[in-house]
Amino acid sequence: MQWLDTGWFGIVITLVMVTFILSNIYRADKGKKELFIRRIPGLNAIDDAIGRATEMGRPVIMVPGIGSLNAVSVQALNVFAHVTKTAAQFSTPIKLCVADAAVYTVAQEVIRDVYQKQGMIERYDVDSVRFVSDRQFAFAAGVSGTILREKAAATFLLGEFFAESLIFAETANSVGAIQVAGSTQTSQTPFFIAACDYVLIGDEFYAASAYLSRVPVLVGSLVGQDWCKLLIATGILLGFATNSLERSQETSVGRVPLAVAAPEKWTAMTEETKSVFEAAEDEIPLDKPRLRKRNETSVFRLFNPLVREADLRVERPQKPPAPPAATGGAQ
Amino acid sequence: MIPLAQAPPITFWGVQPGSGEMWVKIVVALVVCLLIMFGLTFLPNAGRKAVVWGFTFAGGLFYVLLWIVPTPINRGPSDLPRPGEEFGFWLQDALPHIVNSANILTAFLLGLGIYSLLRVHLGRIAKRQPDREFSAILLVCMVVMAGFGYADWIMRRFGEGREKLELMQNWTPVQYAFDLMFDGLLQQMDAAMFSMIAFFILSAAYRAFRIRSVESTVLMASALILMLSLLGALVALWNGGVDAMAVALNLPNASVDLKEAHFLNNFKLNEVANWVRSFLQVPALRALEFGVGLGALAMGLRLWLGLEKGGISA
Repeated sequence: MQWLDTGWFGIVITLVMVTFILSNIYRADKGKKELFIRRIPGLNAIDDAIGRATEMGRPVIMVPGIGSLNAVSVQALNVFAHVTKTAAQFSTPIKLCVADAAVYTVAQEVIRDVYQKQGMIERYDVDSVRFVSDRQFAFAAGVSGTILREKAAATFLLGEFFAESLIFAETANSVGAIQVAGSTQTSQTPFFIAACDYVLIGDEFYAASAYLSRVPVLVGSLVGQDWCKLLIATGILLGFATNSLERSQETSVGRVPLAVAAPEKWTAMTEETKSVFEAAEDEIPLDKPRLRKRNETSVFRLFNPLVREADLRVERPQKPPAPPAATGGAQ
Repeated sequence: MIPLAQAPPITFWGVQPGSGEMWVKIVVALVVCLLIMFGLTFLPNAGRKAVVWGFTFAGGLFYVLLWIVPTPINRGPSDLPRPGEEFGFWLQDALPHIVNSANILTAFLLGLGIYSLLRVHLGRIAKRQPDREFSAILLVCMVVMAGFGYADWIMRRFGEGREKLELMQNWTPVQYAFDLMFDGLLQQMDAAMFSMIAFFILSAAYRAFRIRSVESTVLMASALILMLSLLGALVALWNGGVDAMAVALNLPNASVDLKEAHFLNNFKLNEVANWVRSFLQVPALRALEFGVGLGALAMGLRLWLGLEKGGISA
């Protein structure tokens, strides 16, 4: 077999991390000892924010970002389910504005389920979950308008946000709403920090459901993530040490792209073939030894395996020629 | 239209277009889907959960296999798999069909989104609530935009002389109206909304940079360094001052003209700004991304294996 090896190391590391997470979920599910989670101020503030909305008689507005139905929006809906549960107990009105039709459908089910489980289905307002628009700035305008008109007392901005993040945060700030925000987009986190009262940074967003519910499976998964972080930190330290050592040593063989190793072969290739062989590298002897470059260390090669021209040449059996097409068939 | 020679080859997932086999498969699929939908209505809640999890697991399994099983490289249209490559070929052939199925489902869900919009805004008009005129404008715009957009699409795709519509001088009132509404209004309003961010940044930055705590002081200082490093004249003045100081202190290699390496070079404005970016900002962002990636992995695993408890699955 001549498979192109596209980084076995990355796959192995991912599988090890999957094992860490699953084994901790199993451990937490079976164990009796409660696992520790550090205090997260943004999540502690949820009940305060809802309480304030209840006192003021103004609604709580929740936005799960503009992403499609994926792990991020599902996690945001998990937190919103908790917010809705608390709001339902105090009859505080809620509004959940969504930008994706799939998220809208799931959100509607989640919110109705929460009211049903609380035995307050009569308090469920079908218009509390709204599909606003799937265009980014039309959504931003619609949500900002809702925040201003409804004079929200608390806003929860959790999910995938992009340029519209600051529009929401500043609009809510202008009506004096308490804001709890968190985004998986690291580029938007500074905007939230600048404009919101509480911000879930990085993986705190994913820790939210474990923190709020303390369900063993979720807490175990969180501990598994911590094990993974230790693994990554160890890997970084080991990589740093081996890279430093290797880059201080000289090499007499250089690894260069095919275009440099065999220019005549490269120029003879068609553009289509070039695109296939672009990643191919070869080893050529150097005139005099030199220090290793960044891409010549073993750590770099673990994640970027060396692909030679020979690896990319594959001979396969061919299909027999097709019989003439039937007349009248559409293309 | 795609010339027949360039048409994608028929795989396990496809049939000859226009053939009897294609119509039989369409009818069978339709009947099976209707039966499944009918059967699902009789399922108790617990059973529905199992069905949802089953579909989630199957979908997740496909993408996990696609990630683990090596993709056949340099595959030609008439290539047959070599021993051991069959499964990789099958997965590669299946991918566009799985993606299409997801897109079709999403298209159905868009209908539900439109239903939500209609219910909210028609309800507001019917109940004579405040600001109902905006709801009316929204609904009129939605209908008019969809009408002209669809008419334009039909004319460009199937109409007589559709090639001529590429040129603006051959446009009919339909194209002009659609262009006015889409490029002339919608895009401009999008841009106007986007431009508002500049003002919001200003007000947010003002609040964030007020020195109230140690954190905000650090934030203010680092932001100031980065902003000042973008002002060419100021950088030249600052760096010149650093060079002059090195000469005055008689440091080794210090020279105003040659700008050779000396210790004080580290205090040049662009160097400090680069240090802040490379040694503080980038590592912090990478650390955040590791955390976010691990969180997504754990969440994905829990959803895939049906372990998610609480919130949606409760």
